[in-house]
Amino acid sequence: MSDTGDVIAARPSVGQRLENSIGPLLSLLVALAIALVAGGAIIIGYGESPAVVYGAILDFALTGDGPGYVLAIATPLIFSALAVAICFKAGMFNIGVEGQYLVAMVTATWAALNLGFLPGPAHVAVILLFAMIGGMIWAAVPGVLKVTTGAHEVVITIMMNGIAISFVNWAVNNPLKFTEAAAGTNVDLRSDRFPDTALIGDLGGLFGYRSAAKMSWLLILAIVVALIVWLLMKRLRLGYEARAVGSAPGSARAGGVSIGAVQIKLFLISGALAGFVGMQQLLADKGYLPGNYLAQLGFTGIAVAFLGQNNAIGIIFAAVLWGVLSRGESALQIRTDVPREFVIILQGILILAVVIVYQIAKRRLARRQLQRAGAEERALEAAAAVAAGTAATVSEPDNGTSDEANA
Amino acid sequence: MPLTDLGAALGIALTYFTIIYLTGLGGLFSERSGIVNIGLEGLMIIGTVTGSWGTFFFTSSPEAGGMGWGMPWGPIMGLAVGAGCGALLAGVHALATITFRVDHIVSGVVINLVAVGLARFLSQIFFGQATQSDPGQPHLSTLDLPLLSDLPLGLGRAFSNLSPVVLVALLMVVPTTFALYRTRWGLRLRSCGENPDATRSLGVRVAPLRYQGVLLSGTLAGLSGAFLSVEVQYNWREGQTLGLGFISLAALILSNWSPIRLMGAAALFGFAQAIPLRLADAPVINLLPPQFIRMTPFVVTIIAIAGFVGKVRPPAAAGKAYEGGGAT
Amino acid sequence: MMDDHGAGRESAPPLVVLEKITKRFPGVVANEAVDLELRAGEVHALIGENGAGKSTLMQVLYGIYPPDEGRILMGGNEVRVTSPRVAITHGIGMVHQHFVLVDTFSVTENVILGEEGGRILDVGAGHEEVANLARRYGFTVRPSAVVEDLSVGEQQRVEILKALYRGAELLILDEPTAVLTPGESKELFENLRLLREAGKSIVFISHKLDEVLEIADRITVLRRGRVVGETTPARSSKAKLAEMMVGRPVLFRLDKPEVEPGEPVLRVEHLLGEGKLNGISLEVRAGEIVGIAGVDGNGQSELSEALIGLRQPTAGSILLDGDELAGRPVQDIRNAGVAYIPQDRHEQGLVLDMSLWENVVLGRHDDPAFSGAFGVLFIKKIRDLAERLIRKFDVRARSIAVKAGTLSGGNQQKLILARELETDPKLLIAAQPTRGLDVGAIEFVWRQILEQKAAGRAVLLISAELDEIYALSDRILTMYEGRITGEYAPDAAPEDVGVGMVGGAIVEEAS
Repeated sequence: MSDTGDVIAARPSVGQRLENSIGPLLSLLVALAIALVAGGAIIIGYGESPAVVYGAILDFALTGDGPGYVLAIATPLIFSALAVAICFKAGMFNIGVEGQYLVAMVTATWAALNLGFLPGPAHVAVILLFAMIGGMIWAAVPGVLKVTTGAHEVVITIMMNGIAISFVNWAVNNPLKFTEAAAGTNVDLRSDRFPDTALIGDLGGLFGYRSAAKMSWLLILAIVVALIVWLLMKRLRLGYEARAVGSAPGSARAGGVSIGAVQIKLFLISGALAGFVGMQQLLADKGYLPGNYLAQLGFTGIAVAFLGQNNAIGIIFAAVLWGVLSRGESALQIRTDVPREFVIILQGILILAVVIVYQIAKRRLARRQLQRAGAEERALEAAAAVAAGTAATVSEPDNGTSDEANA
Repeated sequence: MPLTDLGAALGIALTYFTIIYLTGLGGLFSERSGIVNIGLEGLMIIGTVTGSWGTFFFTSSPEAGGMGWGMPWGPIMGLAVGAGCGALLAGVHALATITFRVDHIVSGVVINLVAVGLARFLSQIFFGQATQSDPGQPHLSTLDLPLLSDLPLGLGRAFSNLSPVVLVALLMVVPTTFALYRTRWGLRLRSCGENPDATRSLGVRVAPLRYQGVLLSGTLAGLSGAFLSVEVQYNWREGQTLGLGFISLAALILSNWSPIRLMGAAALFGFAQAIPLRLADAPVINLLPPQFIRMTPFVVTIIAIAGFVGKVRPPAAAGKAYEGGGAT
Repeated sequence: MMDDHGAGRESAPPLVVLEKITKRFPGVVANEAVDLELRAGEVHALIGENGAGKSTLMQVLYGIYPPDEGRILMGGNEVRVTSPRVAITHGIGMVHQHFVLVDTFSVTENVILGEEGGRILDVGAGHEEVANLARRYGFTVRPSAVVEDLSVGEQQRVEILKALYRGAELLILDEPTAVLTPGESKELFENLRLLREAGKSIVFISHKLDEVLEIADRITVLRRGRVVGETTPARSSKAKLAEMMVGRPVLFRLDKPEVEPGEPVLRVEHLLGEGKLNGISLEVRAGEIVGIAGVDGNGQSELSEALIGLRQPTAGSILLDGDELAGRPVQDIRNAGVAYIPQDRHEQGLVLDMSLWENVVLGRHDDPAFSGAFGVLFIKKIRDLAERLIRKFDVRARSIAVKAGTLSGGNQQKLILARELETDPKLLIAAQPTRGLDVGAIEFVWRQILEQKAAGRAVLLISAELDEIYALSDRILTMYEGRITGEYAPDAAPEDVGVGMVGGAIVEEAS
């Protein structure tokens, strides 16, 4: 046994920490740069100046009520991205956030309309609970099917999305129908208006933003939930098992982890998170369930999750970035000749660039860490050999992960 | 008369069979080469919007800003444009997965995300509005299948007034099966999907073959999407594809990646599409609320996938990163 | 049966010459200024231990890697082998240790892939060609058979046919007998002799010195990337070769502690299961190491997986101190006192993306010492444990926060050992515990296993390396086709054990 008295570090060194955090940030910046350049080319094609267009976007997003709008857009995206990211960590793709939050909107609406006897905060809490349950039920289906039959969750969740759309349509036409219209008047498909106890208050006012921005207390909840998720993955047993399952399921199994149990639990948590996605529109914005609800939040959440590298803290920033871009859409219409759809293209290029750049960066980093570890190990071996008095008789260490370099 | 409904339903089923089969074949070539492609929906979407535009563009007279090729070349070029643009977008998927070794499913999801936005953007450019095309879109003249279109009891309706593309789809099984199992190219393609190390060790380069597989998937899925907008619905609308790309994926899994068995799976799912559209009044079915009937295709897919998943065997190397021939 | 070792062929001019080949990878020099001469009609053995550079050298010759320095000469002219395709056109063929065959294709399809002779496939003609080729060199093979239905020996023959079909004059075989039974190895040697007589040049990479002495005409020894010796079987011996390989007299045996075995701790009775569990019965007592010898693929992984709970047996029982464990979940079995050193440390051992300290607690993360209410992990305690263990087990790393994937194979194995042994198990299952490790690490692992025995624990060792079985076992069992086929004393003759490894009788291998 060698005890050369070396200090064995418990935590990552400062250098390692930097590497692990600056790395992803740098990747994001590189991807952003690529997207901006590509977008710039398109802008020039429209005869405008990129500086002007990007400037307009930033201006719209960051001045005046801009931040209020931005944060209001970001709020549901944080929940959506968290739902996707948490499954991704365990190696699963929850593309069904879309359907999960739609169903959650239905269950939440029921609670909003029927439990109005509860005092304000309690009513809101119960509504959110119903939303979580709705999302969990919808997420349970792909989760259970995956564990019992092995069916791939990608196809199942997409199908569930389709079913959910029809389900919401049915709900708004039947149990949750709008009953307050005077006979004969023509009104959009929607539910009744919620009682005041069901609504979530405006937060923007505290910062001087007008209430039209719709920034609400849900933002605080989103940030808190993100922190809870971060804690869960890093410091709780379930998060540990989830990461093991996502990274090396065979080893996790051999270590006694029940893969099926972990997968189902994560799908349920994911569904619960998805449940919050529609709450911004439901409780802070509209105050009723509209027939033409805000769609695509589930898919946008996937984009935000990728941008944030499936990391809870990263997701918060990614959601804000997305909000800035989305808010910028209005700027384009008002101030430039570039159509508002340009932002969508920009976002598309950004996701593409992010996904590719992250992959390249991940590989580079892994290779560098491997080399460094190899060098460190040889240094330690040499030191130990000297200490033991048998110099240079130990063979080349063979690295378990680059077998081609050996023998 | 109930059988007339059945006839109409079968006709719809044939139409959706065409869509699902073409897209599924695309997915087949991609996966057989080893690249999982769940971006089929996105590729179809691009096919729908560009196919619609292409049809207008090639049919309209030069005064109206088009090429003036008239009928039937206009719609044919429209279909070709849709197929070509599908291939272009698939090229992105190929680049990401083959050269940069991004996870196949991640890349597929990105393709789907990008396609929706791209379609809006293109629609804005083409039609001046983001979510649908102009009215009056031309389409190919339909034909009746001989003999079958004369079937009695209303079943003949199923085989009348079909787009020529349906015929193409039905016949596709022949060249694809031949190409896959009887040509040098097919053997090499399949080996890339089963064991790329073996392929490489014999001096056959894996990356070009995989690119071909993925581009082919884009071409077929794009064609399928163009068929939907040009020949079936006679216009482009956002959300037109309705998850058909994923249903095609399910059909592909169910068929165990065989072009022949894919026909059966596509027929099954095609018929499921027809139920809410033409059989909503049929006995038993009409007891359900209309929105629930519309769920039928999705429910059928779920049941099929969940029930059969243990018994299928994908290409052994599909989805796994291959360490040779990449840029990193 | 004495081999004439191709006497009289030493005067033939060399077919291929490797001159001062140097190949570097990040952080390691795999080959340094290697000279090698390969002649027609000769079997040339290339020996060395793990990491010596044997495979790398041949991969350079086969065009998989370009050499950093040096050159390759054929017929006196320099050739640049830039890819396997180029190597094939020069008549060089390679059979890798891990076969590269397409399981779902037939023999013919595998052989003709890449050289199909036309855009349209003529399968019938292909079958005929393959059959003719096989006949010419005395191989028996069914061209239309699907590869995954073939035995390992037959699959290897397909690999050789692939090379011959492409006109290989030089055949490189990388550890060909690692996956064969003794009977199949015999057959292979027959085939090699026929090929040698036909004038082919064969490179035989191996670390099995007995075989090398039997089949080779000349032997080149590599150590740490350099040629350290060249000789012939006539002028050498196993001991001398071993010394050249390692550079110092090798410890073939460690001192086994004397322990009186106690009561049976593990009792397996008529274990049946999918794959290759065809009725296994065995017993391991406290303070005893039972070694199961056998060629990979005869049910060993199924057995070890069943014992740890990763696989459900269909019938039979597994008793640990009288408790029935068969069919119980992994966590229960671990809690009952079973530890597991897996055969594949990446697939069933470590989570490479996680840090060392996170890996150390895997399997015990439910323990109240390491996690509490609501699943909160006691990170400080786990880190302390990790620190203690990597010191105790000499895992070479400067920090417990590095990812497990950055450790070398030897250190990864030590980490797994540390984790498993720290639980004070009643029973240790060690499956191929030193696969892919260098000598220093092998010694370490063997010492640890012997210490377990000294501490009165029961150890079940499963290994394809007879050296290891002999070094550690108190009793030797042989396993073949999912059954225990023989029991031997620790001083039994290897030939006898070899017989057990093929089912207990000398079998004329039917292909």
